[in-house]
Amino acid sequence: MLFILGAVLIPLLKGRTKQIYLLVIPVLAFLDILQLEAGTSWVYHFLGYELIFCQVDRLSLVVGYIFVIIGFLALLYSLHIEEDGQHVAAFLYVGSSLGVVFAGDYFSLFAFWEVMAVSSVFLVWYQKEKRSLDAGFRYLIMHIIGGCSLLAGIIIYVVNTGSIAVTHLGTSPADIFILIGFGLNTAFIPIHTWLPDAYPEGTVTGSVFMSVYTTKTGVYVLARCFAGMPLVAYMGGIMTVYGVLFALLQNDARRLLSYHIVSQVGYMVAGVGVGTELGVNGGIAHVFNHILYKALLFMCMGSVLYMTGKRKLTDMGGLAKYMPVTAAACVVASLSIAGAPGFNGYVSKGMVIASAAQQHMPILELMMVLAAVGTFLSFVKLSYFAFFAPNEEIRAKESPLNMQLAMLMTAFLCVLIGVYPEVLFRVLPFQPIHYHPYTPGHVLGTVQLFLLAGLAFMVAKDMLAPHRGTVLDFDYFYRMGGRGIVWVCVVPLSNMRFRLQTSSSRTIDVITRIAKNPIMLLEIPIAYAYFRITQGLRYIGGYSSSEMYNENLYRRPIGVGVLVAIIILFALALIYFIL
Amino acid sequence: MKKTLKRIFYLFLILCIPAGFLIEHEHAVFFWHKIPSIDVVFGFLGAMLLIGGARLLAHLVHKEEDFYD
Repeated sequence: MLFILGAVLIPLLKGRTKQIYLLVIPVLAFLDILQLEAGTSWVYHFLGYELIFCQVDRLSLVVGYIFVIIGFLALLYSLHIEEDGQHVAAFLYVGSSLGVVFAGDYFSLFAFWEVMAVSSVFLVWYQKEKRSLDAGFRYLIMHIIGGCSLLAGIIIYVVNTGSIAVTHLGTSPADIFILIGFGLNTAFIPIHTWLPDAYPEGTVTGSVFMSVYTTKTGVYVLARCFAGMPLVAYMGGIMTVYGVLFALLQNDARRLLSYHIVSQVGYMVAGVGVGTELGVNGGIAHVFNHILYKALLFMCMGSVLYMTGKRKLTDMGGLAKYMPVTAAACVVASLSIAGAPGFNGYVSKGMVIASAAQQHMPILELMMVLAAVGTFLSFVKLSYFAFFAPNEEIRAKESPLNMQLAMLMTAFLCVLIGVYPEVLFRVLPFQPIHYHPYTPGHVLGTVQLFLLAGLAFMVAKDMLAPHRGTVLDFDYFYRMGGRGIVWVCVVPLSNMRFRLQTSSSRTIDVITRIAKNPIMLLEIPIAYAYFRITQGLRYIGGYSSSEMYNENLYRRPIGVGVLVAIIILFALALIYFIL
Repeated sequence: MKKTLKRIFYLFLILCIPAGFLIEHEHAVFFWHKIPSIDVVFGFLGAMLLIGGARLLAHLVHKEEDFYD
C-alpha cells in the first residue's frame, strides 16, 4: 500500500527531493514488513465475503523481504530517470506484487494480479520504440488471457466451495484454470513466450523491475496453492532445459537473460513441485537468490545498453577495459546464476536438486544437472563475448554512479549469501533446515561439472559464437494464429459484412417505400411497370428521363386510409369479443 | 596472463578427476551418485549434448533478423 499510495506523490516532487523520496518509500516498506506478525489483518467484508489484504506467514514474509530489498536497489539504479511515469509504473508494479504476496483471498489476489500486469507493461512502452510498443501489446494480450483463465478458475472455485480463501488446490477443473493463470505468469512452456518477447524490449531500468516481480509472484502462488504436484515439478524440469537451450542461440544480451529467467524459474517450480520441506525451501531460496543475481545481470546489460547503445553480443566485446565495475558485477552475477561455490545460486540450486533426488525423481534431477551445465556455458559465453572478446572498435564510459552503486550492492548480497547462507536459511518457511551446501562431495561435484563444461566451451567456442537473426519459439504459432485471425476479419468477415449491409439497405429502402403508401402495396408492381414503360417511351420520344417515381401522383385520398384503419379496428374488436 | 590462466585451468582440470576418487557422495540415492567423478562425465557430455542440441535447433528455428516484419 505504501508503494501504491506513494506513487501518487511522485509527479509532485522534483530533483533531489524526488530522489530521496524514491529511496525512502522502500526503506519504510521494509521497516513495515519487519514489524509484521504472523496472522491476518486488514480484513474487509465485501458482498458477503471476507477480503484479506494482509495475511502473514513465513512464506509471505521471505518473499516480501526480497521484493522490498530489490525494489530499493532497482530504484537506486533508476534514480537518474527523470520521467515520472516510469517511476509511477514501477511503484504500482512493486506495490501490486507485494499485494499478491500478502493477499489472503482470491479476489484481492486477482485484483493485484491484474494491476501488476497493466503497470508493468508501461515499463516496456516507455522505451518508446515501435518494437517495444508491439511487444508490450503482445505481453498485455497474453496476460489478459492468463487473467481470464485465473478469474474463470476463481469463480468456479468460489461457486463450488463457497470460500475465497487462498488455500492449497488440487486437480479439479477450477484448480486447473487457476494453475494455467498462475502458470502463464510463471512462464510454463509453451505459454512463456511473452517473457523473452517483452523483457528485452523494456527500458534500461524497467527490465530490471520486470525480471524480478512477475515470475516470482507466480512461483510464490504456486508454492502456496500447488506445492507437491508432480506435474508442476516436471514442468519445472522442462523449463530448466528449454530455457537454457534457447538461451544458447540468442544474440540479444537481454533476450539471453530472459530465456535464463525461464530456466531458473524452472528450478523454483521444480522445488515447489517436489513439495517436500527441502523442495519448497529450496524453491523459495532460489526465488530470493535469483532475484538478486538476475536483477544484477539486467542491471549490467542495461548499463551496457545505456552507455553504448548496443544490445547484441555481436556488437559488443572488450568492454571490461572501459566498464570495469559493470564487468566485475557481471562476472559475480554469472558465477551466481551458474551456481559456482561461494555465490548464492550454488546454495539454493543445490537444495532443489537434492530435493528431487531425495524424492526419487531421477529424470528431474538429471534435467536440472544438465541445465546447470548449460547455464554455466551460457554465462561464460555472455561474459566473454560482452566484456572480454577482442573488439578494437568499441569505446565506452562507465555508467552513472547510482547505477554502479546499485550493481555493487546487489553483487555484495550475492556473495554474502554465497559465503554465509545462514542469513538466508533463517528466513526460509520451514525450520529447522537440515541442508549443508558446503560438503566436500557437493563442492567437488560442482567444480568438476564446471571445469569440464569450461573445457567443452573452449573446444566448441566457435559453435557457440552469437549470430544475427531471429530465433523462432512457440510465439511463431501465436503470431501466425493472430495474423490468421486478422485475415479472417479483414477478408471473409469484412466481405460478408459488406454484402449484409448492402442487402439490408435495399430491404429497408423497399420497406420505407411501402410504408409511405401501404394501400398501394398491390398496385406498386403495376405502377412501377407502368412507370418504367412510360419512361422508356418518353426516352424513345426524346423526352427527359430524369423524372423519377413520385408517390404523390399515386396516393389515395385520406378517407381510404381512415376506412382501412376502421376496418382493422373492427376486425380486432371482433377477434377480441369472439375469443 | 592468458597463458597462466589456461595452465591453472588445465591443472585444476587434471587434479579434479583423481580428487573425485577420494571423496564419496554424502547422500547417494541413485547408482550414479556412487560412481567416483561422475560429474566429470556429466559436465563434458552434458555440454556437448547441449551444444549439439542448440546447433540442431538453430537449423530449425534460426531465421533472418526481419522475419516477422
